[in-house]
Amino acid sequence: MVADEPTFARLMAAAQTGDKAAANVLLTEAGVWLERYFRRRVPPHQIDDLVQEVLIALHTKRATFDPARPFLPWLAAIARYRWVDHLRKVYKHDSKELMEDDAVEDSEEEVVLARVSLDRLFKHLPDKQAEAIEMVKIGGLSIREAADKTGQSESLVKVNIHRGLKKLAALVERAD
Amino acid sequence: MEKHTNRADLIAALTEDLAPVKRVKPVEGAVLIAFAALIASVASIAVYEWWDGLLTGEASGYFLITHGLLLVLGAASTFALVSGALPRVGSRFDAPMWGAIMLGILPLGAIVSMLSGHGNHASQGLNDPVAFMCTTASLSAGALVLVAAVMWLRRGAPVSIERSGWLAGLAAGSLGTLAYGITCPLDTFAHVGLWHVAPVAIGAVVGRIVVPPLIRW
Repeated sequence: MVADEPTFARLMAAAQTGDKAAANVLLTEAGVWLERYFRRRVPPHQIDDLVQEVLIALHTKRATFDPARPFLPWLAAIARYRWVDHLRKVYKHDSKELMEDDAVEDSEEEVVLARVSLDRLFKHLPDKQAEAIEMVKIGGLSIREAADKTGQSESLVKVNIHRGLKKLAALVERAD
Repeated sequence: MEKHTNRADLIAALTEDLAPVKRVKPVEGAVLIAFAALIASVASIAVYEWWDGLLTGEASGYFLITHGLLLVLGAASTFALVSGALPRVGSRFDAPMWGAIMLGILPLGAIVSMLSGHGNHASQGLNDPVAFMCTTASLSAGALVLVAAVMWLRRGAPVSIERSGWLAGLAAGSLGTLAYGITCPLDTFAHVGLWHVAPVAIGAVVGRIVVPPLIRW
């Protein structure tokens, strides 16, 4: 069972004063909470890396927590910041790939990554961008196959993927 | 930080060297930025001299309104900036955006006034001989505020990096212009409406471009 809000806040306040035992329990419990947070956002094999990144951020930025405020929104804000960073890395990777390679062949890892990270946000994209991302990044089609299937030119498919992914990263960053 | 294959090892390593921390408080950020604005004002007075017209009633209404709005925008963007250095989710403080829009009315009004050729406005618009000096002096004063804002943001943990960049630029532009503005004896609508507002826009764009790479964590 994950600790509740008052417990988290109390442990964090104690960790700020240098209480090692409280910090240990806090980081362990926060790890469990973060696992749940990221479970719906990134593929399973990426979760632990992200959790560790956020735990390090929690530790190094612990002075920015105000004990008069709730702890979980503070932790969630850091977790989202790291998640956006993660999405940007995916976006940069995909952009580079689109520039370098006409026949995109995604690995299984990338397909799953794109599916989990982006699927929930598709409704915010124009249809053509969502369609292009879905076919190439999730369905695993090449740019040429997606172009044939949609009737768009290959360049347009690339542009739609590029713009769509960029917009998704921005959407997540803006969302409160 | 060393990469750990096991989360328990990471937690053990993090807690091993745990030390008490001094909490980061927004009021400290506000004081730091206000202090930087004060230093910028003193430096401006030292270089350009204080304009007596401010206290003798000589300053025009345009001058007072413009610098009043700069003060309000500087305060609003500073408040949003220092609050945004602490991670949180939820409602955002949108006052800086509305403050910037209100300030943006001034150059529009100045341009309309110049085009209509009323009074001496037409001669003190785009051909203003001291426009460049007012703009650069304001930006120089603003640079001090920008440095303070970046120092504060680096102490904190801003989670909206681009927004923090805009806010740092707005605060620097508005407070820097205010710091220099108290030494400027030109108080026509065309002059203050254009050249005491342009540094705010320039500062905001500079902040958006320069600040994010400096505060990413």
